[in-house]
Amino acid sequence: MTIDSVLTAIQDSPIAHLISKSNHLVAAGLQVVHVLGFIALLASLVLISLRLLNLVLKQQPLIDVTRDANRLFYIGLALTVASGVLMFVSTPKLYYYKAAFELKMLLFVTALLIQFAVFRRVAASTSPHPVLARTTVAASLVAWFGIGLAGRMIGFT
Amino acid sequence: MAIAESRYAFPAIEGLHLIGLSIAVGLLFITDLRLAGLILRRVPLTTVLHNLRPWVLGGFVSIFVTGGLLFLAEATTLAGSAVFGVKLGFILLAAINAAYFEFVIARKPAVRENHAVLPSSVRFAGLASLTLWSLVIVCGRLIPYLA
Repeated sequence: MTIDSVLTAIQDSPIAHLISKSNHLVAAGLQVVHVLGFIALLASLVLISLRLLNLVLKQQPLIDVTRDANRLFYIGLALTVASGVLMFVSTPKLYYYKAAFELKMLLFVTALLIQFAVFRRVAASTSPHPVLARTTVAASLVAWFGIGLAGRMIGFT
Repeated sequence: MAIAESRYAFPAIEGLHLIGLSIAVGLLFITDLRLAGLILRRVPLTTVLHNLRPWVLGGFVSIFVTGGLLFLAEATTLAGSAVFGVKLGFILLAAINAAYFEFVIARKPAVRENHAVLPSSVRFAGLASLTLWSLVIVCGRLIPYLA
């Protein structure tokens, strides 16, 4: 089975028809959820990053900042992934062959790896080494902001 | 003109607008959730306000610059767009809410001295800001669909 036939099968599935044949505001609604979820995710990431770099809330224990921020991160991730999957499923061929989409997915996998292999652990420690904190924050922000930039390119290329 | 004609400039500026938004409105959402008493309850309110304010304001400068450039590139379409007008209206309401919070609510002794029980207006201002800025983002994302 080739990738193209898989994409065709997805495109012809009932759920894809449900979204693509509905009012265009359903697709717009998915875009709205996608961007709001992404901003919730980034808000949490920016807050934890600034705290790790000792730029904000220095006097507060790291855990007091990360506990709530992590929850917001997962809410944002869930909203973004759920709406993103629905958008992809409705028109997979529109996305799959675009370089910007490929780049976005590569960055997304990278960002998740950084998040779960390193960032989460650094943020969970009491006082991470400054160099480790800076490197982790830089790598993570480049990957997540890159996702945003690549995502914006999808509609234009 | 140059932005509208370039293939990559417009989406690139939109991308920067989105990143700026995650800092300005993102950290404002954090502040609003703290005002509503939903997160960071162990951190004193004045500490959150004081620490995040410069980042929120800096972020807003960047989104006004990128937003201004995007507007110039699409001025003719946007000038007659109802959803863009509604977006500006929500920004104005959010600004009034923020000014009322800064100059009236935040100056009450209970807020300045981090009392355990804060006036209910604090919670209300946070939820209002959260709602208004969410509506701004919703309108912004709908511009290409409804303009």
